[in-house]
Amino acid sequence: MILSLWNMWPFLFSLDSSTGVIVLVGYGVVFASLIILYFVFRYLLPFVLRLKLYRRAAREGRAIDESERGEMSGEVNAAIATAIFLYFNEQHDYESNVITIRKVSRTYSPWSSKIYNMRNLHNQR
Amino acid sequence: MKRFITVIAVLTLLSVIWTAFVKPEKEADKSNSAKVEATFYQYQDAHDENGDKAISGLRKFWEFSGFRNATKGNLIMLAVGLFFIFLAIRYDYEPLLLIPIGTGILIGNIPFFQDGGYNLQLGIYQEGSVMNYLYFGVLKGIYPPLIFLGIGAMTDFSSLLSNPRLMLLGAAAQIGIFLTFIGALLLGFAPPEAGAIGIIGGADGPTAIFLSSRLANGINLLPDGTTVKNLIGPIAIAAYSYMALVPVIQPPIMRLLVTKKERLIRMKPPRSVSRLEKILFPIIGLLLTAFISPSSLPLLGMLFFGNILKESGVTKRLADTARNSLIDIVTILLGLTVGASTQADVFLTPDSLMIFVLGAISFVIATAGGLLFAKFMNLFLRGDNRINPLIGAAGVSAVPDSARVVQLEGLKSDPTNHLLMHAMTPNVSGVIGSAVAAGILLSFLG
Repeated sequence: MILSLWNMWPFLFSLDSSTGVIVLVGYGVVFASLIILYFVFRYLLPFVLRLKLYRRAAREGRAIDESERGEMSGEVNAAIATAIFLYFNEQHDYESNVITIRKVSRTYSPWSSKIYNMRNLHNQR
Repeated sequence: MKRFITVIAVLTLLSVIWTAFVKPEKEADKSNSAKVEATFYQYQDAHDENGDKAISGLRKFWEFSGFRNATKGNLIMLAVGLFFIFLAIRYDYEPLLLIPIGTGILIGNIPFFQDGGYNLQLGIYQEGSVMNYLYFGVLKGIYPPLIFLGIGAMTDFSSLLSNPRLMLLGAAAQIGIFLTFIGALLLGFAPPEAGAIGIIGGADGPTAIFLSSRLANGINLLPDGTTVKNLIGPIAIAAYSYMALVPVIQPPIMRLLVTKKERLIRMKPPRSVSRLEKILFPIIGLLLTAFISPSSLPLLGMLFFGNILKESGVTKRLADTARNSLIDIVTILLGLTVGASTQADVFLTPDSLMIFVLGAISFVIATAGGLLFAKFMNLFLRGDNRINPLIGAAGVSAVPDSARVVQLEGLKSDPTNHLLMHAMTPNVSGVIGSAVAAGILLSFLG
């Protein structure tokens, strides 16, 4: 199979010209659509979302603060989320985890004694 | 390595058995069974004259039993089905896909009486059978968009939004589709068939089924008046098999093309993404991609619709159904019917073997395309903006398995370097890229 593929190499140039068009246009369109998405989500969307912020900063005559951009790494987010989670988890009642057992002086209990066994009832005459 | 050798050995064994037995099957098989039947029928005929209806009933029972109708092709396909189930259970390779497909292969290859076009309404290709009705969803391309709906409802695109330039890796990996298209043309397939085969390189099962159901469905007519071949079964099986074998196929290519030093590159942690950005992504993505390639609308429309359900935050119930119950139901139906469509007399052809070889090559090319493009991008990037080239391998779609493979390979080089989140970007953009490519091939060849 690989050998037959290799032997076909010279025929690559004899392919129909429409094949080349399909391949080039097809691959080009795949790239183009993802490049457009890249530009939209890398530049256009962040710009539009921060337009209000830029205008206010321009009106006040100052540069935009890093914290105003709202850009923080996922790690910072995870740390904040963990802190909030732990905080809310600790809102429960505090328990000492000490178990106290009151020792009773009379240790004998007949609750499972054989003499009260049902089987014995049958033997009574 | 042991897994790799086991899988390759079994595949080689199956292909040897296939090539050795499939062709002479008809003559050899029929002569053997003819001898047995001749003796049997001579005996039965003698009794039939006496009006022995019980014997006649037995004779009919024998004629209709699987033992009488079994061919070597059926047995080979049953072995393939068992092998799929073995892979899923023993090695945990995409069990959610391989168990339904493997069982489907068993169901589709139980031999039954079909001499003289007799319709018992049993086989998947027999009109009126239950399997035929279920197969309708594959033939008409209904299941793949529903799967995409579920994928959209379960995918978090925030990694993509935080680092959109990694989307280019998803585009680069689609080279596998177009080079395989050329390869299939060179091997003598008609252009629509070659387009359907090429999409295996997208490593996206639903897309492969969708495109093959439109281009290589055994119904469409070619310009010369002949009918295209029905390649849905082989293409779907090849696509899903290679997707399941991602952990076997990709690591050797990754190790071959990415140096040890490059594998250690640490990437910047992704930034947090606002809710508004997440809501806008499916809406803008849908409008842009659908305007560029309207033919991919059934797939991308459903993908982004599912994502809107998830991200809008007000349709939680619908999103839950789409990503759990609905996708599970459709996966069961799709896996089972695709498996059953591999009925030996339709599936075991030299074309299927060629499709499997082309599929493997396209998968390798796609992986290499993603890796090499990541290395190419690194030529222009400096400092912590550099990309770990391993994530390029995730551009082949196969969500989320290829991203998982990238994570595992990254951890082998540096146990503290987690690449999963970074790999998800090329991974999901690969899904978008392969759907766009399918749309383009459909508009050119459909």
